[in-house]
Amino acid sequence: MRLLVSADIHLGSPIRSVALRNPDLGDRLKQASRDSFAEIVDLAILEQVEALVLAGDIFDNGYPDLKTRAFLITQLARAAEAGVPTVLIRGNHDALLDHRAQGDLGPDIHLLHKAAPTVEIDGIAFHGLSFDAAHVAKSFLPEYPRPVPGKRNVGLMHSSLDGAPGHDPYAPCAERDLMAHGFDLWCLGHIHAPFERRDGPVLAVMPGIPQPRHFGERSGGTVTLVTLGEGVPEFERRAIGHLGFCDCALDLSACSDQQEVLRRLREALMSVQQPGRDRAVRLRVTSDRYDTTLVTELAQEILEGIDGVFLDKVKSTPPPLNPGAVADDLVRLMQDELREDGFRQAALQQLEDLRLALPSDIMDALDEGELDALLADAIAEVSLSLHAGGLK
Amino acid sequence: MRLNRLDLIRYGRFKDANLTFPKPADGAPDVTVIFGPNEAGKSTTFNGFLELLFGFKSGAHPYAFRFERSDLLVGAELELPGHGPMVVRRNSKRSQSLLDAQDRPINEAILSSALHGLTRDTYEERFSLNEKGLREGGERIAGAQGDLGQLLHAGLSGLTGMAQTLDALAERADAFHKKRGRATVLKTGSDRLKEIGRALRADRLTIERERGLSHDCDRAGAAFEQADAALRQTHQRQAASIAAELWCDRTAVIGPLTEALGAFPDGPDLPPGTAEHVAGLVEKIAAQTARIAEAVEQIAKQDQIITDNPLDTLAQPLAAELQRLDQLTIDGAPLMDRASTARADLVRRLEDRKKIQGQIDDVLRHLQVPDAPASTVALEASALEDLTRAVQDSVSACLCADAAQEAVAAARAQQGEAPAEPQDLAALRDAFDLWKAVADGSALEAEQAQAMARLTKATAGLSGSWRDLIEAGLPPREALDEVAREWAELKADLASSRKDLEVRAAELAEARAELAAQEAAPDAVDIAMTEQTRRLRDSVWQQHRTDLSPETADQFEAAMYADDGTRAHYLTGAEARQRRGAAQTQVRIAETRYDRAQTRLDEVSAQHERLSERCSKSAMALGLDADAPPSAFVARHQALIVAAGAFAELINANNALQTFLTHQKAAREALAEAARPVGLDPARGDLPAQVHRVLTLEDSDRRAWVKWQEGEDALAELVMKSEQGHRLSEEAQGELARLTAALPLPDGSLEGLRAALPHLRRVQQLYGEHQKLSVRIEALQQAIDALTEGAKRLARSMDDLTDEADVDPVHVIDRARARVMRAARADEKRAEALERRDAADKSKRDAEAELRTANGDLDTCFEGQAGQGLGPRDRITKLVERDRLRAEKATAERDRQTARAGVAPDFFAEELARMPDATRAGELEQALKDAQETRDAARDGQREAERLYREAFAATDHSDLATEQATLMEELRTGARQAAVARLGVLAARGALRRLAAERRSGMLRDVETAFVSMTTPAWTGVDVWSQAEGEKLVGLQPDGSTVPVDQMSTGTMGQLYFALRLAGYRSFAREPGPLPMILDDIMETFDDTRARAALQLCAEIGANGQAILFTHHAHLVELARACIKGVTVVNMPR
Repeated sequence: MRLLVSADIHLGSPIRSVALRNPDLGDRLKQASRDSFAEIVDLAILEQVEALVLAGDIFDNGYPDLKTRAFLITQLARAAEAGVPTVLIRGNHDALLDHRAQGDLGPDIHLLHKAAPTVEIDGIAFHGLSFDAAHVAKSFLPEYPRPVPGKRNVGLMHSSLDGAPGHDPYAPCAERDLMAHGFDLWCLGHIHAPFERRDGPVLAVMPGIPQPRHFGERSGGTVTLVTLGEGVPEFERRAIGHLGFCDCALDLSACSDQQEVLRRLREALMSVQQPGRDRAVRLRVTSDRYDTTLVTELAQEILEGIDGVFLDKVKSTPPPLNPGAVADDLVRLMQDELREDGFRQAALQQLEDLRLALPSDIMDALDEGELDALLADAIAEVSLSLHAGGLK
Repeated sequence: MRLNRLDLIRYGRFKDANLTFPKPADGAPDVTVIFGPNEAGKSTTFNGFLELLFGFKSGAHPYAFRFERSDLLVGAELELPGHGPMVVRRNSKRSQSLLDAQDRPINEAILSSALHGLTRDTYEERFSLNEKGLREGGERIAGAQGDLGQLLHAGLSGLTGMAQTLDALAERADAFHKKRGRATVLKTGSDRLKEIGRALRADRLTIERERGLSHDCDRAGAAFEQADAALRQTHQRQAASIAAELWCDRTAVIGPLTEALGAFPDGPDLPPGTAEHVAGLVEKIAAQTARIAEAVEQIAKQDQIITDNPLDTLAQPLAAELQRLDQLTIDGAPLMDRASTARADLVRRLEDRKKIQGQIDDVLRHLQVPDAPASTVALEASALEDLTRAVQDSVSACLCADAAQEAVAAARAQQGEAPAEPQDLAALRDAFDLWKAVADGSALEAEQAQAMARLTKATAGLSGSWRDLIEAGLPPREALDEVAREWAELKADLASSRKDLEVRAAELAEARAELAAQEAAPDAVDIAMTEQTRRLRDSVWQQHRTDLSPETADQFEAAMYADDGTRAHYLTGAEARQRRGAAQTQVRIAETRYDRAQTRLDEVSAQHERLSERCSKSAMALGLDADAPPSAFVARHQALIVAAGAFAELINANNALQTFLTHQKAAREALAEAARPVGLDPARGDLPAQVHRVLTLEDSDRRAWVKWQEGEDALAELVMKSEQGHRLSEEAQGELARLTAALPLPDGSLEGLRAALPHLRRVQQLYGEHQKLSVRIEALQQAIDALTEGAKRLARSMDDLTDEADVDPVHVIDRARARVMRAARADEKRAEALERRDAADKSKRDAEAELRTANGDLDTCFEGQAGQGLGPRDRITKLVERDRLRAEKATAERDRQTARAGVAPDFFAEELARMPDATRAGELEQALKDAQETRDAARDGQREAERLYREAFAATDHSDLATEQATLMEELRTGARQAAVARLGVLAARGALRRLAAERRSGMLRDVETAFVSMTTPAWTGVDVWSQAEGEKLVGLQPDGSTVPVDQMSTGTMGQLYFALRLAGYRSFAREPGPLPMILDDIMETFDDTRARAALQLCAEIGANGQAILFTHHAHLVELARACIKGVTVVNMPR
């Protein structure tokens, strides 16, 4: 028996990257989460899996929109008509899956919850629990049903497991306890980076977010195909999604002229091309005279001729000083200046003025805790801009 | 670090080229001017130097055109602090590219340390300057508006765009956000985000909104159902009212119709179309009757025509005879066409033949053969042509034979007597050629004299033993050059070392004086001194307590003041102690440098001793005194080499002259031997002159002999041609006789035949015409006879009674032909009448059949109907009207039933009871309109509710707006960070520049002023610093005491200020951490001589603190440098 496992679809959640300022890309990806979900359903039908398993966070926004729910039902009905039933649970973003409020999802679409935690499909018992509260600090595991004897048992859980960096502790659950619960397979959700765990005959898969929405989710873009045979479950990751994020570090210090810089940039940007998929690249450049603005302009010009690669962000930093090198007077004195209390007060004031003018959703970009990093960038920027003056 | 030599081993166009930078003599600045024209490779040289220091850059190499990039190699001798002179090389590899003199990799850290960790770019920025950089630097520092920190930074770093950079950063931050800014990125973005937020909220399909829309749909649906039912009921009542009204109308029509039908004939209803069918039959009967009468008339008319055109039985035999006559021809044409003119034609042709016969007789008389038959004289055309050609050939052959004979006679007259036959002079000529080659020996004699003179001149300044020195062997030139170069370098090194020692000694003395001064300063006390004064005070106090005397009191007072003073000085003397510590450090550094300079001087002195010994040996080998300077070696060596060459040339000239005289004697003897066989005798005078005369005449004698021989050959050929002409003439006359043998002509000579030829041609022509005419006359006569016979036969057939002998054939034939034509026309008319009569008869029979059929059909139409007494037309009209009334009555009855059947029975009964009611229809129409409007409004309401519900789901989900929102948010996030970075960068940079001004002003400002004034005097007398709210500003001082802010200086002055700043920056760097070579590329190109001189003096200042290398392609700048800079070294670019 084969299952297609996915989670954290976050339908309706847009991609957050400056790369989408490109009109073509923005147009292609404006429904990226929906397109990726349709792609998942296509894959399930193509592979003729016995069930499509969705381990929570199918929706995203805090303002439920029934249109998105209608889209979900249309897609799952399409899968059901093709003979692929769906088993799903609610995650912490899934208020729209409240069947009491919005009605049944339809035939062959099984939402597991406290009142109906188990469904049996083709001799396999699927167990799952959905919760109504957005933040749950306790483990769900004790409330899961016990394995059905004589059957293969599959669990669906939306959990941060032992806790994962960058993720809120949602229904934390010790991995050891999970693997010891007696199920053959755990289909997990909530962590957007994919991983798998094995413990003897038990397999737990975190399929990852199918369509990464920002640079931090660059390891996503996958679903997991699980084969549940007689022995240990086997898994295979499949790439999905229309846009991937990637990191690209490039040292331009040794370049003799701008032609060389352009050549190196072109090579680097072409190296991240991926057939059939767009890539948003974060470019980290080391240079003593090409500042961020200049590198951005050059990279944008080069990308005009490269298909499928777009600029997410550019950062240029000067190379470290040679051992024993005499520090540039200006840099040295700027660093001295940073240590002055008066300067820090003035800097914080400027930062606060700017922060208060920002929309509330992005005010965190200029939090006080960012000051040291911003100052380091500021010194680098002044130095690079000054040296880049001749180039401009 | 100092550059002693740069080796361009394989680099650019250079191969094994080098540039040497000798150290200056004592006290002289370290300045090297490298002179070379444009394109001499100065840029290549500078780039090679940079790549030596910092390694080759990646990518395509601009100087890899003569050698592959992998073969490029540069090297240098560098003076490295702590290492002394060191030879290094650099290849283009990515790693381990720095090599020693034996091409072994060495650690990059050696160079990196000597360069104080500078990168290539920062080195270029700080330690190179060209004219463009100087000009643009001057323009760009104007942006600093005199800010002291920015100006000093420009001088230190070489970077001039500080003001522009800070402005650009501030602009960038302001472009993102500025208080009260209306078009900033943040303001625009925030506004757009608000718009997007509103649009997204408006279209979001929440659960509550969906419920509301669903409820609206249900309510509107119910309202529609109710209105629709009311509308249907109103429709039914209106239909019932209409039906009742119709019922009443139709009942009123049926009664009169029943009454009217009683007046019409009985019978069944006519089938549809009967009336039209009857009318058609009546028309048909009339038409067929008229057609029968017309056919009878036509038959009678055709019978009359047949009678009027009977058959002619003679026509056929006449036609046959005429056809036979038509087939007779003459000259290929029918005879009948020419029957009327044939007889006259025959007479005319007989006359023509007679005239031709007369002409033939005339010609025969001219030929003097009047009785000869014409056929014997008239030749065939080909025979006549042969005869004409034979006559012509015979005449031509006679003329040729006569001409050849005349030519032979003329040639014999021109050919004179035979000249003497010439002799063979080849041997004499060879001998004379050999003699001429050796006849003149003056050139060799002159050459010998010149060689003697050169030797005398070359040895004029040498001692008598010069040949002994040469034979003993001279030292090689390279060794002498090497000794001279080493001597010069060593002398320069010695002077440099002495100068360096003096400088270091002066620095040491200065440092010690400074230390003494600092130590002497009252506030320079250290903690030990305070302890010492405290201990002294305490001991004096103890003494005073013991003695309590005025002296001890004074002593205590003095000790107490001293201690208080010391402690006070200590407390306020932190800076003084720092200065003293610095002075102590300077003393230690100066001592180290002095010791190093002393060691260097000792080493150079020892080298000087060793080199002096080598110089003495070389001088003696050249015949000079042992203490002769190496500079004299090259000249003496050259003089000895020249003398040796002149001596060798003299010996060669003597040998050449002797050899020549021997060859001359042998040639004279050979010439006399060769002259003897041709009769020349040396005893008769100058033999070569005699030989020359004989050889000169040889060519003309030989040409005369050849010409006579050629005349003889031509004469023999003419004789042969004359004989051949006579032979051909005889052959032509024989052929002519053969051709005229059969002709009965009395004169058979050539002339007689030439005269008879035209008459023979005339006879041949006339005789031909006579023959043709005779044949034609005979044929014409035969045709006329045949025609006459035919006419007679025709006359007999037509029973013509005229005498056959007088019959006119043409008249008879015409009559016969007319009769035949009349018979043919009668036959045609008779046949046509018969055909028409048959057609008329058939038409009559058909019409009679149609008439019978039509009468039968008419009877069938009226079958069963009354009214037999009426004509068919009136009868059918009555019956049709009867049927129309019957149909009208049936329709009325059917309408009544139909109207009643479609309506509700109860509504019908009610409405029928109200009839007649004239206002009822209007009332019901208004009621229906009202119900319709009510129903339409309800329907629209329902559709709108359903549309809203559908659209709520189907409406654009605004994913594009959501995407734009997210993208915009990311842009603002990134932009906010960049703006913050820019603002903080400006803040930090401005603070750092204030610090820089405070830190460097004391050390650099004096240097800046000195350099600035040096270049701009007398226009400027100094610089000053103003303290203003926004920081310290540099201003210039003019002779009248006025001050001018930097940003108000002219562009040229600004450039000079920038140069002064760079100079001060260089001196600052040279002081600490240490000097590096400064490369100046034609910076004085646009300066006038006064300022160029000043700038060169500033270059000397750089050289006084480090090393200055000045590239130029201007020869006058080289001369200026020599004049301005003491001990400057000028090096030409290698070729």
